Amino acid sequence: MLRSIKSLFVGGLVAVSMGSCWELEQEVLTGVTQEDLANSPRPELIEVLKQSAYAAVVGNWGGHGGMYSINEVSSDQLAIPQKGADWEDGGIWLRNHRHTWAVGDGAYNGAWQYCFRIVGETNLLLQQYPDVEALGAELRVLRALAYLWLIDNFGNVPIIVETDRGGNPPQNTRAEVFAFIESSIKDNVDLLPKTNVKTNLNYWTAHMILAKLYLNAEVYLSTTPGVLDPSKGRWADAEAALDVIINSGQYSLTPNFFQNFSATNANSTENMFTLPYDANNAGGFNIHHMTFHYVNQATFNLVEQPWNGYTALEEFYNSFEAGDLRKGSLREGIQRSSTGVDLIDASAEAGDPDGPVVNFTPEINQLAPNAFRQAGTRINKFEVPLGSANSLNNDFPIFRYGDVILMKAECAWKLGRTADAIALVNQIRTRSSAPALTTLDADILLAERGKEFFAEGQRRSDLIRFGKYTAAWWEKPASQPFRTLFPIPQGQLQANPNLTQNPGY
Amino acid sequence: MVSVLMIFSIASAFAQGREVSGTVLDATLRDPLPGVTVLVKGTTRGTTTDLDGKFKLDVQPGDATLVFSFVGFTAQEVAIGNQSVFNIELAEDIQSLQEAVVIGYGTQDKKEITSAVTNVGTEQFNRGNFPNPTQLLQGKVAGLSVTRAGGNPNSQPTLRLRGISSFGATQSPLIVLDGVIGASIDAVDPNDIESFDVLKDASAAAIYGTRGAAGVILITTKKGSSKKGVSNVTINTFGAVEVPTNLIPILSPEEFVARGGTDYGSRTDWRDEVTQTALNGTVNASVTGGFENTNYLASVNYRNNDGIVKGTNRETLNTRFNLNHGALQNRLRMNMGLAYTQTNTTDVNGEAVRYATIYNPTAPIFERDFIGTGESTVDRDTRIANANRDFGGYFQRPLFDYFNPVALINQQKFTNDIKSAIYSYRMEYDLSDKFIIATQFSEDRLSVNSTEFFSYQDYNVGFGRSGSAGQSLFNRTTSIWNGTIRFQDEIFDKMDFTFLGGAETQIFNENGFNASSSRFLFDQGANNLGAGGLRFGPGTGMGSFATRAVLNSVFGRANFNYNNTYFFSASVRAETYSGFGKENQTGIFPAVTAGADLTQVLDMGPFSQFKPRVSLGVVGQLPPSPTLALGIFGNGNRIPLNLAEPINSVFVGVNQLSNPNPQLKWETTQELNFGLDYALLNGKITGTMDYWRRNISDLLFNTQVPVGAPNEFLPGNFYTATTIWANIADLSSAGFEFLVNVNNIKLGAVNWNPSANFTIYRRTTIDRIGVGSISLPEIRQATPGSPGQNNNEIVWNRVGEEIGNFYGPKFLGLTENGEYILSTERPEEFENLGNGLPTADFGFSNSFSYKNWDLNFLLRGSVGHLIYNSFRGFYENADGASNTWNSVVTKNTPTNPLVTSTPTFSDLYLERGDFVRLDNLQLGYNLPVKSAAISNFRLYAGVQNLFTITQFSGVDPEVRWTDDGNPLAPGIERRNTYFVPRTWTAGLTFTLK
Repeated sequence: MLRSIKSLFVGGLVAVSMGSCWELEQEVLTGVTQEDLANSPRPELIEVLKQSAYAAVVGNWGGHGGMYSINEVSSDQLAIPQKGADWEDGGIWLRNHRHTWAVGDGAYNGAWQYCFRIVGETNLLLQQYPDVEALGAELRVLRALAYLWLIDNFGNVPIIVETDRGGNPPQNTRAEVFAFIESSIKDNVDLLPKTNVKTNLNYWTAHMILAKLYLNAEVYLSTTPGVLDPSKGRWADAEAALDVIINSGQYSLTPNFFQNFSATNANSTENMFTLPYDANNAGGFNIHHMTFHYVNQATFNLVEQPWNGYTALEEFYNSFEAGDLRKGSLREGIQRSSTGVDLIDASAEAGDPDGPVVNFTPEINQLAPNAFRQAGTRINKFEVPLGSANSLNNDFPIFRYGDVILMKAECAWKLGRTADAIALVNQIRTRSSAPALTTLDADILLAERGKEFFAEGQRRSDLIRFGKYTAAWWEKPASQPFRTLFPIPQGQLQANPNLTQNPGY
Repeated sequence: MVSVLMIFSIASAFAQGREVSGTVLDATLRDPLPGVTVLVKGTTRGTTTDLDGKFKLDVQPGDATLVFSFVGFTAQEVAIGNQSVFNIELAEDIQSLQEAVVIGYGTQDKKEITSAVTNVGTEQFNRGNFPNPTQLLQGKVAGLSVTRAGGNPNSQPTLRLRGISSFGATQSPLIVLDGVIGASIDAVDPNDIESFDVLKDASAAAIYGTRGAAGVILITTKKGSSKKGVSNVTINTFGAVEVPTNLIPILSPEEFVARGGTDYGSRTDWRDEVTQTALNGTVNASVTGGFENTNYLASVNYRNNDGIVKGTNRETLNTRFNLNHGALQNRLRMNMGLAYTQTNTTDVNGEAVRYATIYNPTAPIFERDFIGTGESTVDRDTRIANANRDFGGYFQRPLFDYFNPVALINQQKFTNDIKSAIYSYRMEYDLSDKFIIATQFSEDRLSVNSTEFFSYQDYNVGFGRSGSAGQSLFNRTTSIWNGTIRFQDEIFDKMDFTFLGGAETQIFNENGFNASSSRFLFDQGANNLGAGGLRFGPGTGMGSFATRAVLNSVFGRANFNYNNTYFFSASVRAETYSGFGKENQTGIFPAVTAGADLTQVLDMGPFSQFKPRVSLGVVGQLPPSPTLALGIFGNGNRIPLNLAEPINSVFVGVNQLSNPNPQLKWETTQELNFGLDYALLNGKITGTMDYWRRNISDLLFNTQVPVGAPNEFLPGNFYTATTIWANIADLSSAGFEFLVNVNNIKLGAVNWNPSANFTIYRRTTIDRIGVGSISLPEIRQATPGSPGQNNNEIVWNRVGEEIGNFYGPKFLGLTENGEYILSTERPEEFENLGNGLPTADFGFSNSFSYKNWDLNFLLRGSVGHLIYNSFRGFYENADGASNTWNSVVTKNTPTNPLVTSTPTFSDLYLERGDFVRLDNLQLGYNLPVKSAAISNFRLYAGVQNLFTITQFSGVDPEVRWTDDGNPLAPGIERRNTYFVPRTWTAGLTFTLK
């Protein structure tokens, strides 16, 4: 009050003296300015800023509606069946599954923004702290990870670096983006820490980014989306990058597959780079809401009612061999409350053969418009402790050692060393009590990856690399090759006129 | 020697002067007038009348004239001559009261005004139970739209002057309460208002600079009467009964079951269960009085309004004290206004209204009333015991989007405790009879304490959290200080000139605090947050904020009046706002107006006034927050620096959460107004017409940017958020307004005063969106919502088109099975289906009087707007979901065949909102009073919303200017729209003298 009066008095004098001072200082009472950052004496600040950049990766990866969703729902493993009015949502998830999406559909813009926010956060810090070398290297590799997702989903995207100024950035070709990711890793990898902190990138996970890039070189360097170009394959380079990881001895397969997805998976020896979701500190991972039936609130005593969305396709359910423990990734059977009482859908559809007691059986009667509400099995890979909040505590594995093994198997097989490949694949199968393989082909390898990495956000990319993404399955007819790239989102074309739409759209 | 001279001079003065005396009376009441100034003209010698209106004064031989003056009365000059006793009667200055129009930092004679200004006085106010002052104006002012859909006593009306003035900055007109700019409308009770002056065009509003772009409503509160030392006490009290009307028809339990709905065996009218006949009461008491050069008004207003939905209530206690005092022979005038308002609101979850409409009509309210088929007694007892434990006995089922509305109302609670105080002090001093200086200081303080509470048995929210509660505090203080100087003179023959110059500084402070916790063993409401076991994580929170901004201004205005025939004025205001980039902090807002009353120079036949006028003005807009130009790092994720120490190593990260734009500047509105003030048949018919064109440039909006790209407004910065506040668009709109009053039509002994107004809008068009390299062809807004319509925006605002166009497929018909036949399913082929904003508004007020009886009513309506009927858009189809949710079946529902498709947006659900409503009607009777103690006694009764004529089949055809505050999505009736009441009132007013 007194301060106000004093300011009024001073301000009044200023106003009356007319023009002597027409400049007012804007006070910042909440939040901090760039000057505050520059003048901070706190030794922790740089680390906090770096982790703030990682927070953009944590972002909405684990939630519905963004990059995770468009990669999984457009695959042959998951769909969001429409249950009457529920999950119609303007048809965008039906279009996503059937590969008939429109350029204006919002989820693609969400995915684009997710990746480019990481680019913006890293560039802002790189611009502000050009001299902190270790920070710079790690942020450039983090930026490369965002571009790995961008080259995979959208292909021809603008490369933006910290020295860029003003105006809309020009678009780059997929090959240029490929080269940018490659050089970002190679130029910085030796400056990265060789410490096994799973929530940050390090020397070995940088190699994983490089390996993923090379593994998909036939896709990324092809001039025609959807048509693989074997002449561009970089299988040996991919294997060399993977060998760096394997030879480090830092990682090993956990004896129990599901340890990697438990609510206390922070110390898994297999997980290499994870998004450290935490109900209190870093929310946003709500796969339990995305997949479980409304009544499952009582199964897990959830804080909020689940949404009854993501459902596994029957064919995928049937692909598990007897004894394969990974089949536990799918939740099936009669659903009960935490106290063991059968749960009832009081409005079960008259035609539903499973009746009012909620029973997840593999068959989904239809994708739309009237899928039965309890049809299909659900994602059960991530542990959901009793009383879970909207966000789970499980750390989401972006890279894990099981993938290193199967990627190396794929490289070996591609390079003609089938026996090596079979041995590697069998390491993975044996861990989950699946019978050992004696032969290997593309379909087996793709199916193996599917069972191992179900619901980990990898399926679309795998299908494209194996040339199967545009094939027909269940209620999805064969799609055109250009659908292997998502469209540049309508909003981005509008905001940046330098962008040209991907071919075919 | 000196003393001799002194004695001589005194003696000679004594010898030559003489004493005159007399009495001054109020000409109307014939009561003595105390405090009247009696001055010898041309001197400073004078006196004032005593309590009996008597005075004595010495006059000199050269004194020619006595001047009798008193505030509110016409001054009288009387020749002294040889007279020694003066019995004077002063008449109330009715003329000045009627003709003075408040125009900002002063008043102006109505005949001189050449911009679009409308004055509405007490006599013209709407009559009924109106808790919000602006409702008094509803339908009264051409160009001013006052809308409130539904009848929640806690929802504030939406005000729009001349349509949409912006879509990023504020669109609501600026309220100026007794000179306090931007005052909370909560701070004044409708009963204390003397008049409204609505500054409609930019030339009138330009004197308020940046805060006037959406128009200005000046509110003048009642002042004390200045008649004598005795006070008047006025009591006004009324009761009101509100009953719900116009409930959307739904299927009966039998129809619901016949259509495949799940039958739970009971019969419940959910809307009957959640609504009530609301009984409301209001008491206004005011004391007015005056003595000498002092007068005052003290008033207390109490209003208690229950809503027609159980659990909603608004209770307001308002007190006001206005004091005016004149000193130094009234050359120094001081005004003080103190107002304090305490408002307490109680609300329910708005979704209760939706569930009451669609919840299963065969479900019982309580679990104990549900009868399970073939259920054993043990099972039944267990089931009921579990429901008692988990849900407080209420019937709940774990279905999607399915909550017992009675439970929702009783197990959640939302309150606001709103304290609003305004204090303002003003001093005005006559330097000479040509120069007046004035200064005013005011503070407007608003404090809102909000609470929310979810019982641990509330299935909607509280159950999973084991109970949850929170409180938040918000404080706002606006401090304003200004100084003005006014010069008034006849600068040459017949040319009156007035100049006003001033400077002003405004300081805006806001701060807030919130906390919430979960896991309560007992339901304790929001008053014991410490009892929540969980104070950290989901369902809990703690935060605070503060902002401060400064706005400095200088302004000037010159008015010329030549011979009461030609009028010209010009004003300019320059303002500096702290919240803009350094290069763009200062804006200049000029205005010019001109007009001529042609009846003064031409023979205009029946016209007694024919004043064409033209005005052009520029006004500005401020952004919604003062720190948008700066790069501010806000709170990011919580970051444990040591994962093994997840609590003690945590810092909150810093992220640039909004993109800075140091080039941010004023939004400018330029408006050209052509008007005509006319009077016919010696004032029998009066009115105005206005045509206006408005161009808005540099519109402030939070626009999409390519996140990750370099920030083009701040080199070296990068977009880390998806949007930036920038000056991005140009808009244009136009309109025509017409007002006609016919005064005193005699129908035998009945006296009729009709007044009609209408407004025709050319809806606001988007001419351009873009700045720098950003260029947007459209902004899509508003999805219908869950279930199933979360991702399809239905309002597309496109460049070159009007704001608020619906886009979607056209409904072509139904297949035999009731499936939609739509024009297309591809979004790129969607068509413009029409607009949610009106093309015309009209109001028709009528006032009849017959002997001691009077009757007032207002017919009001809007035409040309479409409304998306959300209830139909979700719940009329006989699709798979209709076994869970009840269906609405209105006169607009296709019933042969029934629609069986999954609900999808199309023009099937857009309905014409055109309506005419008998908004309010009041019949009054003034008792002939012969008492010495009572001067006035009036009984009245009335009704609000007596009938509405419309084709719309939803809850309320009222214009929706915004969708819960979003101006880019007009015309949507959401499913949580509060029911519409019909209100019956009866009351009495009496004045003690």
